[in-house]
Amino acid sequence: MRAIPRIFFGFFLPFLFVVAQSSDALAQQKPAKTAPPEKPGLSLRTATPSARMEALLDPMSAEWSKLTSQRIALNRTPRLYDTEAPSELELAFVDIRLARTEGKLLVQMIWRDPTQDTAGIAKLPSAPTEGRPHKELTEATDRFFDSAAVMHPMRLRENDVWPSLQMGDAGDPVTIYFWNAARGAARMQAEGRGTTKRTGESFPAQASYGNGSWHVTMELQDVPAGMPLAFAIWNGSQQDRDGRKYFTTWLKLE
Amino acid sequence: MSRHQYAMVMDLNKCLGCQTCTIACKKLWTDRDGTQHMYWNNVETRPGMGYPKQWDQIGGGWKDGQLQPSRQPTLDDYGAPWEFDYEQRLYEGKRKPVMASPDPISGPNWDEDVGALNGDDNFYFYLPRICNHCTNPACLAACPRQAIYKREEDGIVVLDQERCEGYRYCIAACPYKKIYFNEITGKSEKCIFCYPRLEKGEVNACAAQCPGRLRFVGLLDDMNSAVHKLVHVYKVALPLFPEKGTEPNVFYVPPFNPPKRSDYGKSILEDPRLPLEYLLYLFGPAVRGVIVRLEAELTRAQKGASSELLQLLIGRDAETRYQIRPQLVQIQPRIG
Repeated sequence: MRAIPRIFFGFFLPFLFVVAQSSDALAQQKPAKTAPPEKPGLSLRTATPSARMEALLDPMSAEWSKLTSQRIALNRTPRLYDTEAPSELELAFVDIRLARTEGKLLVQMIWRDPTQDTAGIAKLPSAPTEGRPHKELTEATDRFFDSAAVMHPMRLRENDVWPSLQMGDAGDPVTIYFWNAARGAARMQAEGRGTTKRTGESFPAQASYGNGSWHVTMELQDVPAGMPLAFAIWNGSQQDRDGRKYFTTWLKLE
Repeated sequence: MSRHQYAMVMDLNKCLGCQTCTIACKKLWTDRDGTQHMYWNNVETRPGMGYPKQWDQIGGGWKDGQLQPSRQPTLDDYGAPWEFDYEQRLYEGKRKPVMASPDPISGPNWDEDVGALNGDDNFYFYLPRICNHCTNPACLAACPRQAIYKREEDGIVVLDQERCEGYRYCIAACPYKKIYFNEITGKSEKCIFCYPRLEKGEVNACAAQCPGRLRFVGLLDDMNSAVHKLVHVYKVALPLFPEKGTEPNVFYVPPFNPPKRSDYGKSILEDPRLPLEYLLYLFGPAVRGVIVRLEAELTRAQKGASSELLQLLIGRDAETRYQIRPQLVQIQPRIG
């Protein structure tokens, strides 16, 4: 595993100041286009392994360990609402591996999280409730689950002009592959903060938790080189949901 | 502000605490997956813990124009339902009567009829609660997805199940804790003021089933409605916790003259069976004037004068209590 280059932090610090404005300022401001990383080491490398897709969907597959991983620092979103308690940065980084195979882009995300926030939630039965003696029960009302997501613009534009990291821009939408430890995988789309919509589609994703770490794999539709990806992680025990999360900046796919 | 505003007035002097409204609502709206802890309509004993427990203490609402913080109520706060040991009794030879199992330690109406002491005398009354369909809803303001909206046509506050992502900021923001999380759907839910019934000219299920006939429903801006008269003309109905700043559209006629063993007929101000401080806590300083007005009206009627207000509060028939106006409220489909 490669160490994070020093230059990485040099690039990120000014960016963090921009992000760490008050929620009012964030809400009123027209989201700025995010500058592409210009420094070497910030682009994402993709492997083209010979392994079959099924093998790579297993997050613990030995096939993954043959590929180089890239360690990406995680940022914590600033406090979004005055009513929410501030929350510290508890997860420092995510390790990413990318593999192109069979026309798909497979993503493996590994991050340390000492608290495994998940649960077996009953599926909503399709049979109508009337006359059905057993109803599924709400087990808790105050818990949130670990989640992860990969986001990329729906269109690759020229000159590395990318939409806002805050869920894209009006007219410049993003697609989001969202995985939730308790509720599974869902594809979403958005055109700016607060506009995220479920598409109704799922996608293949698998997860494994052990030794204080999540290993998650997601199968994305392949995207061309030059496409930026951004990653996000939600820590359930920090009551993460919505924009209360960890995120990376846009990272350009080689 | 909405074009019209449906409102409800509940006369606490008439509430029996029978929970018929609770069951009417439960059977109609929350007998579904993931809703076992939900009572969009509940009736709690006051003074008491309330439902969810200590909801009046855990936060939310507005102060100086800012939403106030709150924790999320837990399933224990709502009071989880329990099972009974039918299997042991019917099939496993248990000879004792059927009992709750495991032994319950809490429930949604656990402290029913406990009340408190005022000197040597016990006192309590019942407080039925639904969503207040506020004019300035904290839940709506707290939702970053605009999943909650107030219907322009009739002021009913509804939660769009398609937009909701189960973030639960609304639950924290509501000072009355009248929004509930359904873990099976992953979305929040709330009282819809029975709008499908109102649109057909039928009154809310909780009101229709109330044997005490204590609920009045109509448009607050309809001069002929009972709710308009009680709130704006006679000024005898008050919102709960007005200081929370959400401007509820559910109003209460406070208990003003509960009988006492030795002093039947004397008011709270004259010989308080209920400590006035407790009513001030629930309804704010305006409650004092309401009690004076109700007391004066009662005294007048006892001397033989006719009282339109007391006749209205008795509300013998549905026509007196309910003025549902679907012809005035033309609901347009919501775009987007």
